[in-house]
Amino acid sequence: MTMIELMNDSLCFSFPQVHPCAKLGISFIRTLRIPDDGAAYPNPPRLGAFPMVHVDDYESSVPAQWLEWGGVMLPMYQSEALLVQFDPGKTRYPFAVKLAAGKINALTGDAWTNDLTPHPQDYAVSPPQEEISGYCVGRGVVRQFIAMPLGLGSTAEEQLAGNPKYGGVQVCAYPMKAEAFERFSKSPDEFEVMTGVNEEQAPFHAKMGLGLGGLLGQNVKLDPFGYDVWDRQNRSRCFVHLTDSALWTAITGQDPPVAPPRAMHYNLAGLPYHEEIYAPTPVHEGSRILEKLRTIETQAGD
Amino acid sequence: MISKENVFGEFVREKRLALHQEDKNYSLRKVAMRIQVEPSYLSKVERGEQPPPSEAKIVLLAEDLGEDKDVLLALSGKVSSDIQEVIRKRPALFAQLIRDLKDMPDNAVLRIIREVRDGNW
Repeated sequence: MTMIELMNDSLCFSFPQVHPCAKLGISFIRTLRIPDDGAAYPNPPRLGAFPMVHVDDYESSVPAQWLEWGGVMLPMYQSEALLVQFDPGKTRYPFAVKLAAGKINALTGDAWTNDLTPHPQDYAVSPPQEEISGYCVGRGVVRQFIAMPLGLGSTAEEQLAGNPKYGGVQVCAYPMKAEAFERFSKSPDEFEVMTGVNEEQAPFHAKMGLGLGGLLGQNVKLDPFGYDVWDRQNRSRCFVHLTDSALWTAITGQDPPVAPPRAMHYNLAGLPYHEEIYAPTPVHEGSRILEKLRTIETQAGD
Repeated sequence: MISKENVFGEFVREKRLALHQEDKNYSLRKVAMRIQVEPSYLSKVERGEQPPPSEAKIVLLAEDLGEDKDVLLALSGKVSSDIQEVIRKRPALFAQLIRDLKDMPDNAVLRIIREVRDGNW
């Protein structure tokens, strides 16, 4: 029986019917937004995992479509970014993982499919991949996942598919076939090289969708095992809905359990903080009626 | 061997008498009046001479004695109608689940695995 559990704000994929060790944790980590100034930045500080809840727990208050799509939801502020972190646990059982935002594949920009595609590779392999921080836009660089309200035309989904239908994040995990895992496990040195156990750490430390933020230095690694090792019949997928704080409160009746990152967090990280962008305050549009009235000065000129 | 009627009756009698020591409103007659049965009937139930009453009366009795209605229903050999409704929707699944849980320790039973549901998207 394939299953995904929500444990400690992490999606825990397990495939006991494939192999007892076939387990993978996927967390969504809060980070700061980096500037979009053309330079490639290292990963900014992490602020912990986004809190997640089952959409089924709020059956009466979530949008009806979310119940049809199932999954979990998390609150995201515009002053923060998201990275997807893989936790392969002690057994380091390899998985192929497809990741999409608004059903747009984060590695290829293609529309979502339930199968794996080897050319161009539309999945990450963990291990060795430890995390993905954004849309893969070039060799060694990604554009950070940042929260954008649907409807503004800013998300990858809206720019590529034309309408803000899905939003959110979609993940699908495919375990390595058991015989392939056993085969690789019999040559532990080779397995360690492939899964990166000994690899040095990289030097860098309303409804929402994910837009493209600044550039981050990050390698999305090519499949070191080969397409045939993945058990494509046993997959498990999850829709992760994103809400802004107002929608979260409307659905759950409570404020989001975490506060948004403030200027202080950005200052400590040496990153610029843009009040107008990250913490916008609604302003009145003004009155079309009053706009047409003349001022004392113009009247005096008559 | 103690019959299930006696288990239920003895439990009710024990709880009622404990309360009666502190509060005279828990006499046989007053409890029977509040759950709208004859005192002689409740007396026979407590002594195991009559089978336990209906689900509705057991729920009233549980509320009156401050006990868990599901515990009292279980002691009477009944399952509350709301739980029956849940089981009726997926009888094979719940029957298997309960059999699987039969010998598990309490701490394991408390951690029921809950799957994140995938939908149609």
